[in-house]
Amino acid sequence: MIFTLISLIRQAALLTVATLLLTGCELFEFSPNDVRAPAADRDLTAKNLARLQAQPKPTGGDTLRFVFTGDSQRFYEEIGPLVESVNRQRGISALVVAGDIADFGLRREMQWVNDRLRHLKVPYLTVIGNHDQVANGRQAYQEIFGPLNYTFTYDRTRFILIDTNSREYGFNGKVPDVGWLQQQLADTVGIRRQIVLCHVPPSNEDFDPALVKPFTEALAKAPRLLFHLNGHAHSFSISEPYADGVTYINSFAFEKRQYVILTVWGADQFKLEKVAF
Amino acid sequence: MLLSTLPASAQITDSASTTSGRRWYVPKHAVLQAAGGIGMVSGGVGYSVFRQRLDVDVLAGYVPQRYAGTKALGIFTLKTTYTPYTIPLRNAAWCLHPFSFGGLVNYTPSRTLNRSRDEKYYDGYYWWSSTIRFGAFVGGRVARGLKPAGSGQPRMVSLYYELGTNDLYVVSKATNLSGLKVTDILTLGVGGKFTF
Repeated sequence: MIFTLISLIRQAALLTVATLLLTGCELFEFSPNDVRAPAADRDLTAKNLARLQAQPKPTGGDTLRFVFTGDSQRFYEEIGPLVESVNRQRGISALVVAGDIADFGLRREMQWVNDRLRHLKVPYLTVIGNHDQVANGRQAYQEIFGPLNYTFTYDRTRFILIDTNSREYGFNGKVPDVGWLQQQLADTVGIRRQIVLCHVPPSNEDFDPALVKPFTEALAKAPRLLFHLNGHAHSFSISEPYADGVTYINSFAFEKRQYVILTVWGADQFKLEKVAF
Repeated sequence: MLLSTLPASAQITDSASTTSGRRWYVPKHAVLQAAGGIGMVSGGVGYSVFRQRLDVDVLAGYVPQRYAGTKALGIFTLKTTYTPYTIPLRNAAWCLHPFSFGGLVNYTPSRTLNRSRDEKYYDGYYWWSSTIRFGAFVGGRVARGLKPAGSGQPRMVSLYYELGTNDLYVVSKATNLSGLKVTDILTLGVGGKFTF
């Protein structure tokens, strides 16, 4: 009797040890605020951009189609259905997330989102949101995803992704970096259209009030700007708040179980579709 | 000569008032832990009460800059562990504590973090604290008795593991019951205690 009990305990112990060894590395956490992640979970922006540049464009002519989402923060149940829905769409080149990948600014949250979004058939790209900067989040975002301000060009369309979360820096007058934005907008060699993607729009109280004017003026002056895409508000909207010819579109948050497909062609043509999932 | 007689006389007076044979405020054990969400390494001291079943430990943890981004993290933890069962093993020096559970609270100084309660936010902008974490864990321990100290004080060394989680991970799981797995929110820590 005691003998069988001991052998049972021994088996259970062996099984536990084996399981712990297999999953141990991921579980062996120094702090929820550490930025330690396996190589597969790091530099995701660079990896997704490499994938994007390597993939042949699925749409003909000068037409480009991509999915526009935002605010995945702590809506893990919605990611699976979103991925399934996007994977059924035709002609999509990429998916973009307009910030707030995480809710608490923790590295593990960003990994949870990537664990699910990596099942997309297309590459996905992100811009940093305010929730991604709480605690040690800014460091975690840079480790898991990459730079806070960056650009990429696909099908002669220049995407400019910029950190506009001014409140996270205590409105220090440097975020968003308007000088950098102007430089990117001025560089139009080989560019047919420009798209700016950020998290906090200039109309929001979390955007540095001192930078609203220079930021919106830079956009209004941009020679080939198609629209300004942002998240933060969680509900979809499209408007021209500054009556300066610049269209501002706010994404659906993941919790709304809807996303937007943007199809762009020509110099300034676009079609917007809302998809429920 | 004087030095060698002092501890002996101190022990006699102490053992009359306490069973442990030393001042109440002297820690009963030292702890060294790896991971478990409270530092790459953390170390501290603690007390055992209720027939050695309840341990209360204070630890200071460290995450080097390499794993923290721009600045190393310091983490200060208060932890309590309840270990209800003791199974003596065939070799009398060893015993097994198959199950323990406990809770902890820790503080990561805001010097290294973008604090969620900073003055740049209005009240309630973020509902949680980014510097204070609450955690809970289950685990187990094996212990081995050592030769008693010169004073007769029993000594022991033990190794433990802890599977735990923290409040923010629990909130993530509780609001995504089918969206996150239990293993998604678990952390593992291992450590040793030296009872002196």
